[in-house]
Parts: sequence; C-alpha cells; structure tokens
Amino acid sequence: MTRCLAFLLALASLAPSFAAAQDVKVHAFADARLVDAPDDASFMQGGPGRTRYGDDARGVRFGAAGVVVTAQLTPALFALADVQVQRTDRDDWQVPEAYLRYRPLSLSAWRTSVKVGEYFLPISLENDGIGWTSPWTITPSAINSWVGEEIRGIGAELREEWRGESGTATFGGGLVRHNDVAGQALAARGWSFNDATLGLGGRLPEPDDEGGHERYAPFQSIGRRTGWYADGGWSSPRGFQVHVLRYDNRGNPTASRLYNDGNDHLYAWRTHFWSLGAQMETGPVTWIAQDMDGDTEACPPIQCFRYRFQSAFLLAGWNRGAWRPTLRYETFRTWRAGERGHALTAALNWRPLDWLRLSAEWLRVDATRAGRLDFGLGPRERGNQVQLLARMLY
Amino acid sequence: MRCLFAIATLSMLSAAPAFAGRVAIEVVDAAGKPIPDAVVTLAPNPGTPARSGAAATHFVDQKDETFIPYVTALRVGDSVVFRNSDITRHHVYSFSALQKFEYMLAPGESSAPLVMNNPGNAAVGCNIHDHMLTYLYVTKDPEMAVTDAKGRASIDGLAAGGYKAHAWHPQLRPGITLPIQGVTVAEGAPATLRFVLALLPNPRGPMDREHIGY
Repeated sequence: MTRCLAFLLALASLAPSFAAAQDVKVHAFADARLVDAPDDASFMQGGPGRTRYGDDARGVRFGAAGVVVTAQLTPALFALADVQVQRTDRDDWQVPEAYLRYRPLSLSAWRTSVKVGEYFLPISLENDGIGWTSPWTITPSAINSWVGEEIRGIGAELREEWRGESGTATFGGGLVRHNDVAGQALAARGWSFNDATLGLGGRLPEPDDEGGHERYAPFQSIGRRTGWYADGGWSSPRGFQVHVLRYDNRGNPTASRLYNDGNDHLYAWRTHFWSLGAQMETGPVTWIAQDMDGDTEACPPIQCFRYRFQSAFLLAGWNRGAWRPTLRYETFRTWRAGERGHALTAALNWRPLDWLRLSAEWLRVDATRAGRLDFGLGPRERGNQVQLLARMLY
Repeated sequence: MRCLFAIATLSMLSAAPAFAGRVAIEVVDAAGKPIPDAVVTLAPNPGTPARSGAAATHFVDQKDETFIPYVTALRVGDSVVFRNSDITRHHVYSFSALQKFEYMLAPGESSAPLVMNNPGNAAVGCNIHDHMLTYLYVTKDPEMAVTDAKGRASIDGLAAGGYKAHAWHPQLRPGITLPIQGVTVAEGAPATLRFVLALLPNPRGPMDREHIGY
C-alpha cells in the first residue's frame, strides 16, 4: 500500500513536468506475419522447440504492437516509456522500458549522463529499432533473444563519454535489481530464437514435458540482491565500433519463490557473463559480430545446478537504400545441459514507404539438446521457420 | 579639361583588375561518385589581386531534426545564425577548439549572430537530439564554394591570375593534410578544378520511423 502510494505520488509529481514539456513525442508500431513453423512445438506453447513458432503451424499471426512515448522534460532531463503487447501463448501487456535520463550539456569533450528506471543494458548491436526491434532481421540472434527475454536493468546507471576527433569512447556501469531470475530460460530451455521482447508485467512461457503451460515473470526480486554491470566502448569515424560488458546479477542461488500457482519453486540464478560486440562498415555492407560467454547457477536443496553458456554470431547487412538483405550465422551451446547448435538466418527487408516495413525471413536451426528426451524426442532438432512480416510504423 | 578628366578615368579603369574569371569545381570519390558538401577555397598567388567583400551572415536552419545545410563555409569575420524551424526545441552547441557556444532555441527562435574570428572547423550538435550534426568551416581565403548534390560548384568574378585551391570535407580522415591544387584563371576561358577525396562513412545515422534514436 505504501509503495503504491509512493508510486502515485511520484506520478503526480511528474505530471506537471509532462504537461509543461515542450517536446512530447509518440511513436508506435504493430506487425502481423505469415508463418510457416518447424515441427516441434515452440517453448511459447510449452514445447521443446526453440523458435517463436512451432508445431508445424501455418497462417497469419499477430506478433507485437507497441507505443513509445518520449518527453524532453527540461533541456537535460529526458523520459521514455515503452508499452507493448506481445503475443506469447497469449496477448501480454508489458513495459520493456521506462526510464528518466539526465544528460546536461557539456562544452568539453567529456559528457556525463545518469539513467534511472527500467532500461536495456548496452549489449545488442542489432536491436536499435523502435521497441528494441532489429532492422536487420525479424528474429534477433540467440544472444539478443535472451537479452530481450531476461536481461534488463532496473536500477540506475552512470555513463561518461569522451568525444574526440579520432572517435568516441564510452564508459558506464550501473546497479540493478529485480533481475534474479536471469538464467532460468537458458537452464530450462536453452538458447531460443524469439523476437517477443518481454518487460515488466510480462510472463515468459517455458517448456513443460507434462503438457502444462508454465510461465514466470522474468523481472522480479528473489533474495533481494543488487547486481551490477560495467561496460566500455569505442567508435571511430571509420564506422568501427567495439563494445565490451561485464554483468553479474549477484543472485542468491539458494533463494526461491513459489510460482505456477504455488506448485513450483522459482529459484534465483547467480548469473554472470561477458559480452563482446563489434561493428564495422565496408562500403555498403555493415558487419556485426557479438559473443557472449558466462555461467549461471541455482542451488535448490540437496544439489546445485550450474550451466555454462556461450553463443556468437556474425551478421552482414547490405544497405541498398530501401532494400536491405541480411545474412547471419551463429553458434550456441550450454554445457551440462548438453546443448550445442548453430543457426543460419537470411532476411530480405524492404521499406517501400516511410511507415511500412516488409520483411521475409528464413531461419534454419540445427541443434542437439539432452532435455528433448523428456519430451520423448531425439536429442537432435532441425527445423526451418519462415516468416513474411508487415510492420507499420508511426 | 573635360577631355582630360575622361582620359584620366579611362586610364584608371584600364589599370584596375577585371574580375571576370570563373572556376568550375567538381569533387568526386575514387569511384567517380559526386561528393556534395565539400568546401573548396581559393587563395590568390602573390601578384594576383584578391577581392575583398563585406562580412556576411550565414543561416543554419533546423528542420525535421536535421541541420540544413550539413556544411556551411564562412570567411573569417563572417557570422552564423542558427534558426529553429522545427516544432520542438533544440539545444545547439559546439565544444570545438575553434569556438565553444550553446544556444537553447525554442520553436521559431533564432540565435544571436555568432562571429567567427578565426579559421578552422567546428562540429555542431544538438544535446537533445544526438543524431543532429552540422559543420562550420571558416577560411581566411577570399574565395570559397560548397559543392551541391552533383558534387559541383563554381566561383565567378575572379581576377585573372594564379590561385591555390584547398578542398575540405567533414568526412576526411582527421589530421589529414588538405589536398591542394594550383589553378590559373584567365578572362573568357573558365578554369576547372577536380578533387578526388576519400571519405569516411557519414556520421549521421539513419533517422526514420524505425530508428527513433534514444
């Protein structure tokens, strides 16, 4: 009750600022797609499949819709709220991002900013589109699918930029909470290929070999620990960027909370990883490469479960005006879970109009995972997911 | 007496330089593709008369969250005014060594004229909209032009004689020695200048309904 009152008071105090804001903007998107899915039922439906769609489904699907509202409250204070409805196994309303950023003007090469709220960590070099979508493909890489599902900063960040003639260096870091479940998806399911971005209020379905539909809130506090991240990056005028990030949620692996109507325990996962990304331009072709390497551990009574995870991808996008063909190859594995695989994604994007994006995507996954035996399936999974997408932009 | 006056005037006119020369400029990349927004300046060689003009005021507009033009060439002593034609405010600033300044501009507002007293270049941004970028290039050379979308420009009304031409573009590699060419201008026959520049990628990222840039 006290928290609710404090939230309402905070909202009330912001209202005059919003009313006085000279710069309020509303952006929106919505998409529908024609899908031809692989044989395995998707984890979205409780199955073992790692793609967003499965069970040999064919037909038109609603993907997502979102509204992003921004307000420049003062010359230095900026606010953003992103509300989306994402189709998982149902239509879920959620808030993937909502933050305030304070960035005063600096008349030197150094510029400082502070961000408070819920925000994406600076990991993905793919997802710079509205609502954290990727302009390169419909489905993000395995790394950024997981980031969209389970990794979010809910806390505060301090960032420093040095802007020189030879390039821009950035250093940042933050303290985050409510990210104790990060790692559950990789442990229970492995890497996925999924463009459903989750947020506060969202629920992530997970595989269930007993035919149930278990879902959990990925952004919650279990064990009340505060995690951290630190990152650094460099971008040169030649179009080369490199970025490295270290993340540790400092989760208490013995802490748990009841979920699934009180039938199961959802454990905090102690998750840390390194993320390294690079981007460069060679003529009209943009190259993006990213690697993530880490581990996660939860300790229910009697036994601890520790998984190492790793994935890397290389993407090449050919910028041909309104057309943008893209090719991405990636590998992924988690061990102890016996998961190993690779995927190839080919996409053709077309922007015939400012407000319309049309994309065709073929995603080929070839992987093995021991957990498939629980579903009475062989360990090897090979499948193709084809999507034709129409996304309207406002 | 009248006749003497007329003869004196005629002799003065014939002694003054005739500013009737023209230089046609073309700037391309290694593949022959036109380069817009390149600045080409001309400095007269010793013995070639230079034109002198009054200081001018240049305008840099802000429309659809874009600075227009991308590059503005000024002579030392010229001034620049930033005008906001958007419906949102802009916080225009530069921390360049040439000139540090900031202007908070409400919709429809213009800055006070900013006099550029030294040669050099300045990157100018907006602290609210990080994707906005424009450049000022200030020269002490008396003649200058900026190439259009076809990579072309021309300078008219030049005195006949020899000149040194420099080319500059904001996407040249930092620290590079500016390319120089000599050109001879004669009355009645236009001279031509052709620069081939190697540019770095455009620093202005794509901004559209898909890339909202926060």
